[in-house]
Amino acid sequence: MPFYDLNVPWSTPNSELPRTLSFLAESYLIEPNADADVCAVGYNVVALNFTITGKLPTNFACAIPDPLPFVVPSKLTVLRRLTLVLTTPVNNAALTQLASSYDILAVRPVDEKSLLLAATSLDSDIVSLDLTQRLPYFFRFKTLAEAVKRGVRFEVCYAQGVGGDAVSRRNLIGNVQGLIRASRKRGLIVSSGAASAGACRGPWDVINLASIWGLGQERGYEALSEEARKVAVTARLRRTSYRSVVNVVYGGEQAAKSDKKAEIREKGIQDVQEKRKVHVLDDTSPAESEKPVSKREQKRRRKAELEKHAETKGSVVTPDHTKM
Amino acid sequence: MVRLKHRYLLVNILYPGPVATPRGKDQQTLPDTIQFHKPTSDSLTPQMLMRLIRDGVAELFGDYGVGVVAGSLQVKYFSAATSTAIVRVSRAHYRLVWAALTFATRLPHPLDEACVMQVVRVSGTIRKSEEEAVRRARMGIRKAQSAGTWMWDESTIGQGHGNVGSEGGSVGGAEAGARPGIEDIEDDRSESGDSGD
Repeated sequence: MPFYDLNVPWSTPNSELPRTLSFLAESYLIEPNADADVCAVGYNVVALNFTITGKLPTNFACAIPDPLPFVVPSKLTVLRRLTLVLTTPVNNAALTQLASSYDILAVRPVDEKSLLLAATSLDSDIVSLDLTQRLPYFFRFKTLAEAVKRGVRFEVCYAQGVGGDAVSRRNLIGNVQGLIRASRKRGLIVSSGAASAGACRGPWDVINLASIWGLGQERGYEALSEEARKVAVTARLRRTSYRSVVNVVYGGEQAAKSDKKAEIREKGIQDVQEKRKVHVLDDTSPAESEKPVSKREQKRRRKAELEKHAETKGSVVTPDHTKM
Repeated sequence: MVRLKHRYLLVNILYPGPVATPRGKDQQTLPDTIQFHKPTSDSLTPQMLMRLIRDGVAELFGDYGVGVVAGSLQVKYFSAATSTAIVRVSRAHYRLVWAALTFATRLPHPLDEACVMQVVRVSGTIRKSEEEAVRRARMGIRKAQSAGTWMWDESTIGQGHGNVGSEGGSVGGAEAGARPGIEDIEDDRSESGDSGD
């Protein structure tokens, strides 16, 4: 299971960034035949995070260039994320427009009202709070649960706590515990928020921290891998699919998968049609249904099918139910 | 017979900061992998490492932390050349020491270098930790060699940061032992009724 780090801050003079990405991706290659998915030392997917505070920009293009201006480690997948600090009220239309040029959208509430807004109505993928501040409100299960049900995940950033400042560390731990308690260990993701390579920590170290703070090792592992993957995937589906129909892409295995779905669907339709045919025959002419299909008729039908198959090449051939 | 059970943490000391290139004139920088895993200076002794851990536990978990951990805390192995250490902790409280290592940002005083301590393997016996240390050292050498040959074959200048992915071999490195190791240990803990996660 690959590890995700969904918050690596992006800023325009980004001298530290190539080194940070290298550090995050850093892993010692062990046996060549070992399971390539199990990478306990480094991260596989990283999201560069661009933060907007205050007014929304008029230009909705992605602030993070594509391709990136420096060399990225080859094993690392880089996503682009936008974080909107909710100092001004925002509506969903503006959000979706902004989000379309990024891979992931996050919102950062600044007070309880904006947290409620973000959790219940705003169309974002992640709700990221600044957990190094003393929050004047408590987290409530109802708000968090509703958000998680909608597919929104809450993010914990560890870098500022690990940085060395005792006050932010204490606040972080206290707030994380409140978040874990209120969310009942569901719907949380952990990310770094690391501005430099020195603030990054290995995935298992982060999981250990999460387990000390109350999340537990299994949930911590999920938070770093499975939940984060869900965020990335749902974010992509939100942008590329319509009403839960995923785009069908022709290309090797993916083609086979979608074809299988189509095949099952078509088979289902065929079955129903066949059943209908039988019913009709029963109703109108019982004599004909008893007579077996003549060889001439069989040959004619086979030929028709071949022609149909030749016409629609590459699509699925439905099985012929008459030829038992 | 009551047996004191321990956990042996295999710790890597990584250096995220930039490193002065050995060849000054030539503008080629070392590949990032080699920079991150560079050797520690000889002035870091196992005793200093112990003190670092104990102070870290004291800062994070107070007197309680030091109390439960100090009795069986020991640096069993330390190699400055590979920046690797094996730390022994009592089984019940190894997470505290692990957290103290995670929160460590700089090496202790005369060195004062920015570092990242990464626990690479947790095992119940010292032998497994040793084997893992040996395996990683071997992989490190192999990786450094291949990174070096890449650099010299390409003979490009200023190719600093892109080298991590250039080594041949498996994609997305596999810490083959560690994950099952940790899970085994977790099962063991839950069986013996330790208060856990």
